[in-house]
Amino acid sequence: MSFPDPIAVFRTEAAEVLEQIEAGLLDLNVNLGDKDQVDAVFRGLHTLKGSGAMFGFEALAAFTHHCETAFDRVRKGEVPATRELVTAVLGAKDHMRALVETPTGDHEAASEALLATLRRAVEGSGDGSSAPPAATTSHTPAAVASAASAPKQILYKIRFSLPQNAMANGTNPLPLLDELVDLGECRIVADRSAIPSLDQLFPTDLHIAWDVELLTSQPRAAIEDVFIFVMDEMQLQIDEIEIAAPVAAAVATVASAVQQPVPVVQQAPPPARAASPAPTDAKQAKAAENVRVPAEKLDELMDRVGELVIAQSRLSQLAGSSGDLQLRAVSEDVERLSGELRDTMMVLRMVPVTQLFGRFRRLVHDLSIETGKAIELVMEGETTEVDKSVIERLADPLVHLVRNSCDHGLETPEERLAAGKPEAGRILLSARQQAGEVIITIKDDGRGINKERVRAKAESSGLIPANASLSDQELYQLIFQPGFSTASQVTNLSGRGVGMDVVKRTIDALRGTINVVSQPGQGSEISLAIPLTLAIIDGLLVRVGTGRYVIPLSAVEECLELSVEDDMRSRGRSFISLRDSLVPFIRLRDLFRTGTKPDPFQKVVVTSTGSERVGLVVDQIIGDHQTVIKSMSKLHHDVATFSGATILGDGDVALILDVGHLVAEGQQQEAHLRAAG
Amino acid sequence: MSASDVKESSFSLPSNMTVRNITSAHQDLLQFIDQNEATSLVLATDLQADISTVQLLEAARIYASTGGKSVSLAEPATGTLLDTLRRSGFLEGMSREDAQFWLHQEEIQ
Repeated sequence: MSFPDPIAVFRTEAAEVLEQIEAGLLDLNVNLGDKDQVDAVFRGLHTLKGSGAMFGFEALAAFTHHCETAFDRVRKGEVPATRELVTAVLGAKDHMRALVETPTGDHEAASEALLATLRRAVEGSGDGSSAPPAATTSHTPAAVASAASAPKQILYKIRFSLPQNAMANGTNPLPLLDELVDLGECRIVADRSAIPSLDQLFPTDLHIAWDVELLTSQPRAAIEDVFIFVMDEMQLQIDEIEIAAPVAAAVATVASAVQQPVPVVQQAPPPARAASPAPTDAKQAKAAENVRVPAEKLDELMDRVGELVIAQSRLSQLAGSSGDLQLRAVSEDVERLSGELRDTMMVLRMVPVTQLFGRFRRLVHDLSIETGKAIELVMEGETTEVDKSVIERLADPLVHLVRNSCDHGLETPEERLAAGKPEAGRILLSARQQAGEVIITIKDDGRGINKERVRAKAESSGLIPANASLSDQELYQLIFQPGFSTASQVTNLSGRGVGMDVVKRTIDALRGTINVVSQPGQGSEISLAIPLTLAIIDGLLVRVGTGRYVIPLSAVEECLELSVEDDMRSRGRSFISLRDSLVPFIRLRDLFRTGTKPDPFQKVVVTSTGSERVGLVVDQIIGDHQTVIKSMSKLHHDVATFSGATILGDGDVALILDVGHLVAEGQQQEAHLRAAG
Repeated sequence: MSASDVKESSFSLPSNMTVRNITSAHQDLLQFIDQNEATSLVLATDLQADISTVQLLEAARIYASTGGKSVSLAEPATGTLLDTLRRSGFLEGMSREDAQFWLHQEEIQ
């Protein structure tokens, strides 16, 4: 049995908590009066501090404590939430991430500087204190003492159990029990009946429940407050019992005995179990349905499924060429099952783009401050799902594009007002699925791309000859050339011409395409079309000459026959008429220089990316094929026509056509022919 | 063979027995109990303990008794271990066996 490394688990959990803190802060920045967000940020900071201390991240715990204290004061209404405070804690949050990642690093100076900023933010909000507020909890000893003198005492019978993974996730039950003790006179009994035998124990799991009798004048909410950070996942039952004064005194005596250094051992009856299930049962059951799996294990499983698909393909081929009906039946079963397994695997790998988009809220917030521009970020289609490896690789290109929009796309508030636009610029980040692709769009309502400047820059740098005839799209694509920048000023954000070429390279590597639309004075829209997955695709296996090739099925619109007569007629034109529209086509036999004679009945596979189409002329359509994508070697890195390779059932290699590239080539061919008249 | 005939073997627990290190201690202890009839657990003088320590030792008691073996503490719980027992309510409602195991107390006080 192998156990997860608690430190690694903590780091994963801390990263999630930090993301939640950031999201809460950004929401709070929009509505400073949102008490729910104040509570959410406070909870996140408290959790991080507690679990950090538990796992030995002392510097993290100490630093986070100051931010937690500041937010506790906001929570209690002692100081207001301000944008300065939000910005200070956002900066502190980045520092917390560093403290999680490199706890032994030299962080002291940075910590001091950030705490000074935090202090100023708290002071600026009318607090008046010069130091970070001291740690305060809801239930200080003084408060408890005062409560104890209150006349009305209530005996609470509390039973609780924390989620099984509580300790692994950094929740220490002891401080919770201490907080209960702080509330009043308390008797705590551990219920150890669920502890398994050593050989069955998962040592970081928690199998202990607690029964607590608490005599206090505090309201029920004070008890619930103790568990506020784990409330959603735990079982908690609180019963109030009206008691007479002498009983209260007796309970108090028992409770005070618990505090003695030498324990009192007694044969106490086991406490009564909750008669009815706790209200959080359903939540806990739901939480238990989710299992956290390391990403590399999913990749490993994906590789295995890929190998299975290749083996299945081989089996199908053997079965097809054999007359054994039983073998064919088994092969069909394996084919169906491997297809289902592949689909299930794909679903497991899909994650919503919200994980990707979330980080841009912070980026835009920071860019807004840096540029002095008011920027509104709108996100749409955040639930759109994409393969996790695609998501990971999209992060950098999107950062460049969003930075570019903020820095170059959007005008200053003065310029916008002068142009009759709202003062705040708007950036729309959206995602949607479309025929096997995810389309991610970054749209701004800024000044738009200055075509004349792009052309002038391209001509001066020798990218295009003077007065070259280029479509708008071709012109816009020049901005993705290495070192290309029309910015008159280089800023910290952009303008060095580094970045947009990274976008292009990354999107190319993802077998994606970039489309740019821009209107002067109205803004720009850059759309990235990316395949939903990079691992296994449904393909159409075709033959060209003696070679076999795969066309991604998601890009195939239809297949037509190209008769010898049609072929002869279209020589020199390379267009077919398809329902009253002309579609350019490419003879792959010519492109690949097969040197073979065409089959008498060639086929045209009409493919598309977005609204653009091109026909690919092949000798034979073999059929559909589950295609496990293998990367091309570095030697073939520059071959743009192919996006990868796959292994066929008979062991041969088939190249996968890069439809985006071929469509672009077909469209170019069309444009040239049109230009030639 | 009477209980007194069984030779007690000592197993020294690591000084860090908190949830951060409990996994390795778990494996080692399990192996040791498997190899010995009676295990005496030696607590480090600077033992760092938390609720996972208490839980592990309780699980060890269950495992040993199921296999007809025995586990005991070489010395009664003190320091952070005793503090954890107290704060987590393990000292409340202790049976005679629990008191003997954790505190080496024969009588219920």
